[in-house]
Amino acid sequence: MTGAAAPRAASQGRLPGGRGSREIHTARRKIEPIPDGAVPVMEAISISKAFGATTALVDVSLRSYAGRVLALLGDNGAGKSTLIKILSGVFPPDRGELRFRGAPVRFVSPAEARQLGIATVFQDLAVCELLSVTRNVVLGREPLKGVGPFKWLDMKRADEMARSALLRLGVRWERGLDERGVNISGGERQSLAIARAMFFGSSLLVLDEPTSALAVRQAGKVLDHILEARDQGQAVILITHNFRHALSVADDLTVLAQGKVAAHFRRDEIDLDELTDLVARIA
Amino acid sequence: MSQAALSAFSVMGDQIGSGEPQTASAQSLPAARRVVYGEAARRLLLRPEATSVAALVILFLIFSALSPDLFPTRQTFISVLSVAAELGIVSIGVTLLMIGGHFDLSVGAVLGLTSYVATVLMRDAGVSPIVAAPAAVLVGALLGAINGALVVRFRIHSFVVTLGTMLIWRGVVIALTGGFPIIVKIPPLFRDVMSGPLLFGFRMSMLWFFAIGALGTFLLARTRFGNWIQARGQNEQAARNLGVPVDRVTICLFMIASGLAAVAGVIQVARFASVDALRGEGMELQAVAVTVIGGTLLSGGYGSVIGTMFGAVTFGVIQVGLVLAGAPGHFFRTLTGFIVVAAVILNTSVARRMARSRPLAGFRRGNVETDAALFRDFDSATAEAEVEGPSGFSAESAPGSRR
Repeated sequence: MTGAAAPRAASQGRLPGGRGSREIHTARRKIEPIPDGAVPVMEAISISKAFGATTALVDVSLRSYAGRVLALLGDNGAGKSTLIKILSGVFPPDRGELRFRGAPVRFVSPAEARQLGIATVFQDLAVCELLSVTRNVVLGREPLKGVGPFKWLDMKRADEMARSALLRLGVRWERGLDERGVNISGGERQSLAIARAMFFGSSLLVLDEPTSALAVRQAGKVLDHILEARDQGQAVILITHNFRHALSVADDLTVLAQGKVAAHFRRDEIDLDELTDLVARIA
Repeated sequence: MSQAALSAFSVMGDQIGSGEPQTASAQSLPAARRVVYGEAARRLLLRPEATSVAALVILFLIFSALSPDLFPTRQTFISVLSVAAELGIVSIGVTLLMIGGHFDLSVGAVLGLTSYVATVLMRDAGVSPIVAAPAAVLVGALLGAINGALVVRFRIHSFVVTLGTMLIWRGVVIALTGGFPIIVKIPPLFRDVMSGPLLFGFRMSMLWFFAIGALGTFLLARTRFGNWIQARGQNEQAARNLGVPVDRVTICLFMIASGLAAVAGVIQVARFASVDALRGEGMELQAVAVTVIGGTLLSGGYGSVIGTMFGAVTFGVIQVGLVLAGAPGHFFRTLTGFIVVAAVILNTSVARRMARSRPLAGFRRGNVETDAALFRDFDSATAEAEVEGPSGFSAESAPGSRR
């Protein structure tokens, strides 16, 4: 768990500009095709979901592979949040099937999804404001010491865990780990949530609008962290309605409209203008 | 909080920190050390306990001035602490619950009902107190579990649920007692253990109060459950997403609150050797007042058991101090009211205060190394001037305050 940072993958697909100072980059770039026979970490097959008379999703299928970022695009009400809630076990689909590493799964609760290593980072729900960075990172997985039923927090190890979780994502936390949530910026909150998810062994990272409400530089950092997570072999599903952000990190893009998959591309099949046109036409 | 206000407070902070040595020697201290003290004071002021300690110190000085012969005496401290102990035990449960983001208005009624249970078990069933007392506490925990289950299952605000159960339990107590006091013969040993005299005339209940306070502090600050309580109060959804069993935490908190109310009930039974229909009435609101004075946010998520203990002592000081000063009885409520409002005003800005307050010169905010240096320096500086200050503000607890 506390293993050293995984060796950084050769920076294939790495963008010019370098970490931390990168610009959001939307030109065409080469994407490796999905290798034959690769099993998706998460596969949704013909998912449908309705809430009363409102149809949220119709026959939606998607595949998310390890080491690839899948961007899920669409307007408000296109069904993005319903889809991720199904993926993260908040509620089950009405019809259709979820497969995790090829095996059909049916989640009864978000806890089950989490146990399989599906980490969902919801917008604005990443951080407890009056807890320290350390306590936020280890929340729900606090390291304990002591014997038998008498166990208490091992704060030293918790600090170590927080530090190495952040380091593994390439975040240099300059301030103390005792900094409280209120003093952490929006971008840092997302970084913290991603670091936490990766550190505790997620295999699929679902990010709900991680860059909305962020300033450009902060958004750039969060996107960098998404790339770092991808390079470390995570499957990433990125929900966003910012095309630039999606294009700058995604390997695959799926556009949802009115609860259906309206289009699906590999990143090198499309550029910003085409994508904007396309979505405008669909919606 | 403005800088001006903060620096005005830091005078008070010095007094809180470690008594007279600081202020007295501030002139002669080297500048660097003064910054160390200043920074330590700044951090203390960001602690939830700051308000209650300030209130306690101020009231103590006022009452000492009003009745210099009667107030600052051991007899007064004994009375203050016996008032504080019973209310304090109830308040500690309410504090934990409130940090977890809930209210419990039923603790007073639970205290009444569990007192009745303990009394009747001893009087009518002839059960030994060794069995009756834990049984009463168990009944309390059970009543708490009902509250918790209702809140969790039906997603109703705990305020409403416990308002309802308060009325129900109180009605049951009145019906069972028929409105008359029930007297029971208490074995002296039991009375002594629960509420009998301790050293120097202090009561055993004080020992229970301190023990429960220490346990509560440890639970809140140093256990996984404590982390979950705070997370539940601050951001329930985030906690749930991260796998914290939020509903279980809620139910446990209600059980703790009602269980501690039952403990206070047993102590009162031992002290009065009786129970009456109105036992514990009004205590639920006093407990909320004590909790709020103790620096716990009404909105939940942040607070301190030690603060609540100071709050309970503050309550006792008001009650006893006013009597000794010869004030009319109704002053008690009025003064308590003023202090509660003032405490809430001070405490609600705690988050903003934390975000805004900047470290003094020479300290980067929350840097681990400078922290270590700070507290090393602080420790050695206070080592020779160590005062028997209120617990929780001694130098060694300061590093803990960082979290």
